[in-house]
Amino acid sequence: MSGSRNRTRTTAITVVAIVLPLLLFVLSLNLGTYRIPPKDVLPILTRAVFSGGGGESSPAADVLIRIRLPRLLLALFAGAALAVSGASLQALFRNPLVFEFSLGISYGAAFGAALSLVFLGAKVPAQAAAFVFAVVAVLAVLFVAGRAASQVVTILLSGVIVSALFQALLSLVEFFANPYALQALIFWLMGSLGQATWTDLAISLPLIGVGIAALIGLRWRLNVLSLGEDEARTLGVDVRREKVLVIVLAALTTAAATAVTGVISWIGLIVPHLVRMAVGPDNRKVIPLSAAFGASLLLLADDIARSAFAFEIPIGILTSVVGIPFFIVLLKRSGKVWL
Amino acid sequence: MKAHVAGLVFSYGTFKLKIDELVFPGSRVTAIVGPNGAGKSTLLKCLAGILPPERGGAFVDGRDLARLGGRERARLVGYVPQEPTYMFNYAVLDFVLTGRAAFIPRFSSPAALDVEAAREALQFVGLADLERRPFFELSSGERRLVLIARTLAQRPSILLLDEPTTFLDPRHETEVMALIRRLAVERAATVIVTLHALDMAMKFADSMVFMKAGAVVAAGPPDDILDEALLRSVYDVDIGIVDVAGRRVLVR
Repeated sequence: MSGSRNRTRTTAITVVAIVLPLLLFVLSLNLGTYRIPPKDVLPILTRAVFSGGGGESSPAADVLIRIRLPRLLLALFAGAALAVSGASLQALFRNPLVFEFSLGISYGAAFGAALSLVFLGAKVPAQAAAFVFAVVAVLAVLFVAGRAASQVVTILLSGVIVSALFQALLSLVEFFANPYALQALIFWLMGSLGQATWTDLAISLPLIGVGIAALIGLRWRLNVLSLGEDEARTLGVDVRREKVLVIVLAALTTAAATAVTGVISWIGLIVPHLVRMAVGPDNRKVIPLSAAFGASLLLLADDIARSAFAFEIPIGILTSVVGIPFFIVLLKRSGKVWL
Repeated sequence: MKAHVAGLVFSYGTFKLKIDELVFPGSRVTAIVGPNGAGKSTLLKCLAGILPPERGGAFVDGRDLARLGGRERARLVGYVPQEPTYMFNYAVLDFVLTGRAAFIPRFSSPAALDVEAAREALQFVGLADLERRPFFELSSGERRLVLIARTLAQRPSILLLDEPTTFLDPRHETEVMALIRRLAVERAATVIVTLHALDMAMKFADSMVFMKAGAVVAAGPPDDILDEALLRSVYDVDIGIVDVAGRRVLVR
């Protein structure tokens, strides 16, 4: 029977899912323009932990603790956040094309960052403004959809409308921006993991962590919700409440990530599909594996972005340019429906 | 368990469903029949808690279904929809497991007990061998059986089935109806099923409800209520009833 073969395959994929992000994380610590020999990494980290971040400072310790470590952690968390939210929203809305863009989160965050970078200067950091407007966008989507928010088409349509509005507002801000602010804004919009400081992460990572943990907790519930409103209701699910819960969690996680990273596209769409191609549609596997592979993929993409060339490529561009053709190849080769 | 409907009103656009009093005897199969648009599925959806009635409601052992919480209702009433369109191609066992939602806390996944209940349900409908198969690869008849198995895993006392035999060939139609009969006999379930096939209703149902334009025209055991005049008034077409070797057969 194919059952045991499937189980072996799932076990193998689970092992890879646990090992891959850890391995990439350790390797990435050594990677970069400033070479830190592998044997020095662990002593620097332990010394930093035991001295509470202070202690003696060497160039190597500075690079590792202040620049590289937050960047890698952000890559792991943001990648997991985007992939898990994408997978959850796709199951919830029974639509494989839904991801954070569909709820207006991306353009809401972009507009918030633009306001901050162009008009507010240092008073309100771009990260905070991006987060606030990402949440505003989701609330606007839920408000526009109104009482019919439980209907898939209505909420997706609201998402398109709200995104379009924030896109227009973003253009308006760009129109009024001076060249320097515009440059900073465009750089932010292309996405980067290099701007993150420990202060940003102290707010962002816990939010992302809680959101991901809760969505992983809801993984089987998403199977039930993905059967549709009426059926989930007859099966005993409080559909309205659980729908809002999933949307809020997904919005919180992606908004917290997007606020620090800028707009990084396609992770939320591609990773869940790759996972479904490998293990099937059961969300008990799809959600946790999306977290692991989303984290690995974004970390790998960031490694390439910062070390493949003499200059750094914006990661948002990289994920699109590399991710989409890769996805197309898989789509063509799989040759069947995997959902 | 006995179910009954009292003073139920539900309207949608110009359509109005109005049922003063209707009793579904316990451990029996009741078939709801009538022309398209008579309100059969609407009645079933009111009973299932999908559509909220404007007035009156459905009661099980005197308890108003509308006042029960979702989980509580799901443990009492199971609903088998007409073949729905799904987005995700779950394996048969994973699909049947969703019937356990009313027993599993929000942030949990099915335990061994739930898997056992799902397997037992698949066994009952005779599809235990297919538990690993993707749902989309099943035939139409097998899908109907899997939908029924999911509702069985839910272990309800009242089972509602919305046109479970539509689009099935005669063999599968008979198999599904025989299974529905077994639910009432072996599981003591109160089964309420909407049907178009009058001959199937006559053969397998203990009781029939004739509906037209949102109202009940006649209700009772087929032998007591079914005659040519009733069929004529409900369907607006002449259907003859003849005796063949002691059985009543419909002729068109």
